[in-house]
Amino acid sequence: MRARVVVTGLGVVSPIGIGVSAFWKAALAGQSGISAITSFDPFPMDGYRSKIAGQVRDFAVERFLDNAHGERVDRYAQFALVAAKEALADSGLQMAKENPHRVGVIVGAGMGGMVMGEREVTQLYQQQKPHRVHPNFIPTITLNSASGIVAMAYGAKGPNLTISTACSSSAHALGQALHCIREGRADVVIVVGADASITPLVFAGFCSLRALSSKFNDQPEKASRPFDQLRDGFVMGEGAGTLILESAAHAKKRKARVYAEVAGYAATSEAYHMVIPREDGVEVAHTMRLALADAGLTPAQVDYINAHATSTAIGDAVEAKAIRLLFKSRADKIAISATKSLIGHTLGAAGAIGGIASVLALHSGQIHPTANYDDPDPACALAGLSRSAQERRVKVALLNAFGFGSNNAAVVLKQATS
Amino acid sequence: MATDPTISLKIRTALGEYLKRDPAAIQVTQHLRDDLGLDSMAVIELLYRIEEAFDIQIPDQDLVGLTTVGHVVTYVEKRLGKTALAAPTKKPSTPTKPKNKKKS
Repeated sequence: MRARVVVTGLGVVSPIGIGVSAFWKAALAGQSGISAITSFDPFPMDGYRSKIAGQVRDFAVERFLDNAHGERVDRYAQFALVAAKEALADSGLQMAKENPHRVGVIVGAGMGGMVMGEREVTQLYQQQKPHRVHPNFIPTITLNSASGIVAMAYGAKGPNLTISTACSSSAHALGQALHCIREGRADVVIVVGADASITPLVFAGFCSLRALSSKFNDQPEKASRPFDQLRDGFVMGEGAGTLILESAAHAKKRKARVYAEVAGYAATSEAYHMVIPREDGVEVAHTMRLALADAGLTPAQVDYINAHATSTAIGDAVEAKAIRLLFKSRADKIAISATKSLIGHTLGAAGAIGGIASVLALHSGQIHPTANYDDPDPACALAGLSRSAQERRVKVALLNAFGFGSNNAAVVLKQATS
Repeated sequence: MATDPTISLKIRTALGEYLKRDPAAIQVTQHLRDDLGLDSMAVIELLYRIEEAFDIQIPDQDLVGLTTVGHVVTYVEKRLGKTALAAPTKKPSTPTKPKNKKKS
């Protein structure tokens, strides 16, 4: 029999709070973390169509870590370290008592170390002094710098992997960790999603893609509005989420508090377009169906969906269509919420942070609001969406995450049975 | 040979900043790895700072000899002294060791 996998620890760094309790309190209150971009200074914002983002405020890594690991890595990996520290403490896992080769780290990251990346590229091109490129440039921008530094910080010597599938990265990290533990290759996997690339070049790139909201620059907190009629693109965010996954047997043995079970996962490609989803929603529906089958569950058992819902015109409509395709008449009975309405799109961190919101929904019976769902777009109206927090017993939750490159992921979480 | 005390101070200050230690506690006799705990990557980062501080470039073949604080001080003094003396020629004066000799 394959091992059951449970979640025993959570950690988060987000635009609405650092730490799970601050995050969850703000999320339930429907608080927005979107504001005018300040971090480009002295680079002027004038030429940017979008001027807002979900930024993590007042983050100084030394405030959160008592070791030097954070100094050697870029902002996204600092977020990863801080979220991992909280999640490990929350899980009660003591590395000294663990076989280190049975503890893995799987990180999902879409962009990686772009803060240093952009600085060094700019300097090299302006000054043309190759010998002044920082010696840490390569180890910093290499996309596994976060999975490496988290393992070093905690002596986790098991599988160490980084998954980069753009916006679905950390949903796949969750899924791959599920496989890893199910197959008996690890007892524990520290799953992280992290990204911090609200930087002049990356932000300009998303602007040029015409993917970002630009109509609400004067009302930043109104800009991220998934499924709403007035939505006009996503709002970029940054952050990290960490979930400690372990085999149910391992958690039981050490008498750990169990939040939820990770029950199923599916990974597919639409093999269609680099940035546009198939409009019929067939592939998204198929991905959700596969994940439920992997969990041994049927669509009729789903109570809550943490939607990918980025607030783009096409993306939200396709997801809503896919939900109707799969769940049919039950589609309006399922509670749905869009975490991105609060924090923006944290790219590689989105799956992990959405995963945390799902785990907390299962654990607490509370579902956070979808901000700015003021005027439902008929093309994607779903009765289970609400501007207010919802209270209801959630036994099965579905987490959706879709990435550029025609990439889809779905993860099924359910209430843990002892 | 130049014996500018500010060079030694600047190097010890750079080291102190890097190691978060009082520069006054850093001795020229100290070994970068064995006494100060710098691994090979840390030495490279330190030399990167020193290149900046003194506006010099340290060629790869010179790294091998730089194992103590004193070596670094002497090396920088030599580089700055020679550069100053050899004024118009701007070619960086590297030691006359045979080039590309295999490093140990």
